[in-house]
Amino acid sequence: MSDETLLRVRGVTTVFDTPQGRLTAVDGVSFDLGAHESLGVVGESGSGKTVLSRTIMGLQPRRGVAVTGSVRLNGTEVVGASEEAKRELWGRQVAMVFQDPMTSLNPVVKVGKQIDEVLRVRLGMDRAAARARAIELLEMVGIPAAATRYGAYPHSLSGGMRQRVVVAIALAGSPQLLLADEPTTGLDVTIQAQILNLLDEVQGRLGMSMILVTHDLGVVATRTSRLVVMYAGRVVETGTTRDVFARHRMPYTRALLESSPKISNPSHTRLAAIPGRPPNLLDLPAGCAFAPRCAYATDRCRSERPVLEPADEPGHLFACFNPLPVAAGGPS
Amino acid sequence: MTEPLLSVRGLSVTFGPRSRRVSAVDGVSFDVAAGETLGLVGESGCGKSTTGRALMRIVEPTAGTVSLEGADLTAASGRALRERRTAMQMIFQDPISSLNPRRRARDIVAEPLDCWKRAAGEERRRIVDGLLAQVGIDPVAYGDRYARQFSGGQCQRISIARALAMRPKLLICDEVVSALDVSVQAQILNLLEDLKAEYGLTLLFIAHDLAVVKNISDRVAVMYLGRLCEIGPADALYDAPAHPYTTFLLGAALEADPEAPRRGEVLEGEPPSPLDPPSGCRFRTRCPYATERCATETPELREVARGHQVACHFPLTITRRGGAPD
Repeated sequence: MSDETLLRVRGVTTVFDTPQGRLTAVDGVSFDLGAHESLGVVGESGSGKTVLSRTIMGLQPRRGVAVTGSVRLNGTEVVGASEEAKRELWGRQVAMVFQDPMTSLNPVVKVGKQIDEVLRVRLGMDRAAARARAIELLEMVGIPAAATRYGAYPHSLSGGMRQRVVVAIALAGSPQLLLADEPTTGLDVTIQAQILNLLDEVQGRLGMSMILVTHDLGVVATRTSRLVVMYAGRVVETGTTRDVFARHRMPYTRALLESSPKISNPSHTRLAAIPGRPPNLLDLPAGCAFAPRCAYATDRCRSERPVLEPADEPGHLFACFNPLPVAAGGPS
Repeated sequence: MTEPLLSVRGLSVTFGPRSRRVSAVDGVSFDVAAGETLGLVGESGCGKSTTGRALMRIVEPTAGTVSLEGADLTAASGRALRERRTAMQMIFQDPISSLNPRRRARDIVAEPLDCWKRAAGEERRRIVDGLLAQVGIDPVAYGDRYARQFSGGQCQRISIARALAMRPKLLICDEVVSALDVSVQAQILNLLEDLKAEYGLTLLFIAHDLAVVKNISDRVAVMYLGRLCEIGPADALYDAPAHPYTTFLLGAALEADPEAPRRGEVLEGEPPSPLDPPSGCRFRTRCPYATERCATETPELREVARGHQVACHFPLTITRRGGAPD
């Protein structure tokens, strides 16, 4: 971990005004991210992980959303920044890779031109220099025959190739922070492995920090140094990836880990399913949001919200009144 | 194996006109024994879903036979086909669009009974309530709710109850958990295991997720570009894959364990187009072990260990298994 903090997130809360009422998608999230560090944000649908990454990026609709708290990227405040100020950050300081490479590319513009745009608008390159650099970027993300593919339209590329183009666009401005929101969901396993290896490699080569947002614990297990586990908009546990996997204290973290089938287990291993389903954010329980599904919940859990408290290991925090005992060798 | 419940021989499905013919499934043969779960795994476009649909004749096979309990389904037509097909039921990937949002849970589950006039009145109600309760939907509290009022996981439970209404012998599950959150996915997988034991069901479980397939299957079949690469007992196949493609597929799978070693090399490139599949072995264009022979001669499935068959001229030797308990 680096002592140099690139991103400082403090008490970030994102509230949407919906016809059904106020919906708190992200509720008081705080964490730091050092330079060259990679952080995983995991949670199920509705946990607020995607809204959090968009809030960090400063991407919100103009109306119907209120963001409070602070997001400082390299000392610049993102929350409440003007569109002009955010445009200065986008591309050069922070860039994003979205889930669906089909919809994040413009279908009627050649892929090379979509990379050029960043280079010319953000970095002020001239046409020839931008073209040369765009081809270089396409080569860097592993697209064969890059000079030919420069003139290809997105529809003629496969899903994996399109996601490589999206990564190339994100890298064009040499950002210090790359936000990848479910970058491999919807891709086949062999292609997923290619894209994750690519992200690993460019992160190392360019010395970027990365936030990997995903529902898949397999994606973050070996690719991140720290984890944030979210449930119903809040951080319920955070720590080094190893600590969260092996020495987690929050019952939800354990439930999430144990409910996913593992290749290393023999077939017909009974899964420890979590009863019920993720809560409705419009109608959250008063206490801990996980209490209705938790085997250890008490009256206190149902009436009072637990806050993050330190565990034994440095940087390891959990929000639970009845934490799991510290496992000797780590639970299976 | 005794007389298999389902026997598939040389199943092929092609789409499109002669000039742009897509060979989606090409000469697939396998058996599923009664009471067994066969997992069918592969990447998108490998033909696993088309295989499932062709068994039901939702898409017409262009060649091959499908027999259920010895009776050939490919030869039947009209009412005879429909009647025979009630013994096989299918559950689909998207639970929400599988159900009519404007119908009540109870009526959705009763529809197969109504179609075949199997039960009416009090008996119909008793069967439907029993099925709903069995899949974990309280019939008293939720039976009269509309499909649109249920979450994805609950809709999948109702789809399962509907599929069970005809007391089928074979359940074809096509990516039934891939749209669900992990916590709900585990509930549905456990439910299928319980129902299988209770009703003595036979399952064909089609999915892309290797961990999910291993968890639920007794045997696993791996498909690539319309053909079977390998088929064998789940644990043996995952421990010691014999087909190079299976090795790459397993090597690319991510395990939710930070201590897990990064396994294997990453497979380069992408599958070729099924419009113009490679000659011989369809994996040869990406296979590091491919030789001249792979281009000219199509490998047939052959046995490498008991019940473990592989379609490869140069199967990987089973050495890694060592003295591991079987």
